[in-house]
Amino acid sequence: MSNPVTILMIEDDEGHARLIERNIRRSGVNNEIIPFSNGTAAVKYLFGGDGTGQHHNGQALLILLDLNLPDMTGIDILRRIKENKFLKSAPVVVLTTTDDSQEVKRCYELGCNVYITKPVNYESFANAIRQLGLFFSVIQVPPAVS
Amino acid sequence: MGQVLLLSAAFLVLVAISTASVLLVNKARDDSSWVVHTIEVENQTNALLLEIRRAESGARGYLLTGGSEFLADHQDAVARIIPDLDRLDHLAADNPAQVENLKKLRAAIEIRLDQFARETRFVKQGKLPDAAALVREAAASDTTGTIREVADAMRAEEDRLFNLRTANADRSEQLATLVTIAGSAMVIVLAAISIFLVRRSARARDEAEAALRDSNLNLEATIDERTADLREANDEIQRFAYIVSHDLRSPLVNIMGFTSELEELRGDIFRRIASLARADAAPALVPADQEEPELRGEDSRLSQDFSEALGFIKSSIDKMDRLINAILNLTREGRRTFVPERINIRELIEAIVSTLAHQVAEAGVKIDVDSLPSIVSDRLALEQIFSNLLDNAVKYLRPDVPGAISVRGRTKLGFAVLEISDNGRGIDPKDHQRIFDLFRRAGTQDKPGQGIGLAHVRALVRRLGGTMSVSSELNSGSTFTITLPINWSGGT
Repeated sequence: MSNPVTILMIEDDEGHARLIERNIRRSGVNNEIIPFSNGTAAVKYLFGGDGTGQHHNGQALLILLDLNLPDMTGIDILRRIKENKFLKSAPVVVLTTTDDSQEVKRCYELGCNVYITKPVNYESFANAIRQLGLFFSVIQVPPAVS
Repeated sequence: MGQVLLLSAAFLVLVAISTASVLLVNKARDDSSWVVHTIEVENQTNALLLEIRRAESGARGYLLTGGSEFLADHQDAVARIIPDLDRLDHLAADNPAQVENLKKLRAAIEIRLDQFARETRFVKQGKLPDAAALVREAAASDTTGTIREVADAMRAEEDRLFNLRTANADRSEQLATLVTIAGSAMVIVLAAISIFLVRRSARARDEAEAALRDSNLNLEATIDERTADLREANDEIQRFAYIVSHDLRSPLVNIMGFTSELEELRGDIFRRIASLARADAAPALVPADQEEPELRGEDSRLSQDFSEALGFIKSSIDKMDRLINAILNLTREGRRTFVPERINIRELIEAIVSTLAHQVAEAGVKIDVDSLPSIVSDRLALEQIFSNLLDNAVKYLRPDVPGAISVRGRTKLGFAVLEISDNGRGIDPKDHQRIFDLFRRAGTQDKPGQGIGLAHVRALVRRLGGTMSVSSELNSGSTFTITLPINWSGGT
C-alpha cells in the first residue's frame, strides 16, 4: 500500500476521529491522514488562500466527511468539492450519524461516493471503515487538469 | 321584560284616566243640571209671586173702579197661581226645607185666594164697604207679607244651593281637567321612557351585531394565526427532537467504540497476566495469541468483574440507542407529509391481519372484522395505527382464555368511529393515561417492547384530525376507540 493517496478526515468529534483512524490503520492502510476538527480549516486547506483549489491539481485525495460540523454543514463542503474542477474527482466518503433517507439521497445527488452511517454497534462501524481499505486500492491519481 | 311592564303600566294609566274622565264628566254634568234646577226653582218662585201681585193689583183695581177688565185680569192671574204652585211643588220636591216652605206658602196663598174670592164676590154684590173691610182685614193679617217672607226664604235657600252647586260643578270640572292633564303627562312620561328603552336596546343590538360581524371577520384570521403558531411550535419541537436524538447518538458512538476498544484491551491485559503468572510458575514459552488464557484465583475474579462491567455498559448503550432511534422515528413520522386518499378500512385491516397470521395462529386468536366505513386519509398512517393496535391485542392476551379480537365501525357526524376490542388482560384505569406516554408501559412486564407503539398511534391519529381513547378494566379486555374524520383533507 504505497499509494500516494492522502486522506483528509473532516470530523469534529475527536473520539470518532480516533476510532476511524484506528480502524483504517487496522485495515492495513498506512496513507497519510490529515485530520480537521472544523469545516473552516478543512475548506481553507482544500481550496487554498485563493479559493480555487488549484494547488491540489493532480493530487490524489480521499475525503472523509462528517455532515454535522460545528461551523458549517458537511453538505456545503461536499457541494463545493464537487463543483470544483480540481477536486471533483476526489472520492468523498460521508461518515455521519444521520441515516435519514432524505439526507442520504441528497448526498448522493451532490456526488458523494460512499455514505456510511456511524452505527452505535461498533462491529458494524469497524467493518464499514475497514471496507474503505478496498476503496484505496482502486483510487487512481487523477490526471492534472489545466 | 321591562318594556312589557312599562306598556302594561301605560295601558293601565290610560284606562284609569279614561274611567276617571268619564266619571268626572258625568259628575260635572249632574252638577250643572243641579245648578239649572236651582235657577228653575227660583224662576218659578218669582213667576208665582208675580202672578200673586197681578191678582192683588187686579183685585184692587176692580174694587176701586168696578171695571170688568180688572176683574178679567184678576181672574186670569188667580187661575195661574195654583198651577204655578203645583209646578213649584213638583220642582222643589227633592229639598225637604223647600217642601216645608212650600207648605207654608201654599197655606198662605190659599188664605189669600180665599180673601180674593170673597172680595170679588162682595164687589159683584155691590157690598163695597164689606169688600174694603175685607181688604183692610187682609192687610192687617199680613198674608201678603207672609207670602213674601216665605218666598224670600225660598229664594235665599235656592241662592245658597246655587252657590253650593256652582262650586261643586266648578270643582268637578277642575278635577276632570286635572286628571286629564296628569294622565296625559304620565302617558307622555311613560312614552318617553319606553322610547328611551327601545332606543337603548336598539343601540345595544346594533353594537352587538357590529361586534359579531367584527368577531366573525376576525375569527378566521385568528384561527389562521393560531394555527400558524401551533404549526411553528410543533415544527420546532420536531426539529428539537431530531437534533437532540442526533446529537445524543454521536457521543454514544464514542462510548460504544471505546468500550469495544476496552474490551480488546481487557483481552490483551488478562493474556499478559496469565502469561506472567504462568512464567512465574513454569518459565516455559506461552503462545502470545492464546485465545483463552487460563487465570487463577484472584485474577479470574478480576476478569469476571471486568466482563460484567463491560456487559452492563454495552447493554445500556444498546438500550439508549433503541430509545434514541425510537424518538428519531417518531420525529421522522411527524415530518412525513401525509397524502389523503380513499381507503377501504376493512381491506386495510384484513391485510394487516394476514401479516399477523403467524402470531394469530400461535396464540389461537379469533379476529372478527365487521363491515367498516371507507374514509379519506393517509394509508401508511392508518396501517401503522391499526397494526400497532392489533399487534398489542394479540400480544397481551390472557394465557388461560382463548383470544377473541373484534374490529367494529360506524359513522357519526362526519366521523368514522372505529373500535378494536379484545378479551385480553386489560389495563388498570389508573394507567389509561400512562400507556399513551412515550417509553411508558403498564401491567406485567413480561413481553418485549419499548413503550412506543401507543404514543406513536396517538400522535398519528391526532395528525389525521382524529381522537382516540381507551376503555378497559384489569382482566376484562380493552377497547380502543379511534375517531377519524371521514373526509380528511390533509394540511394539518
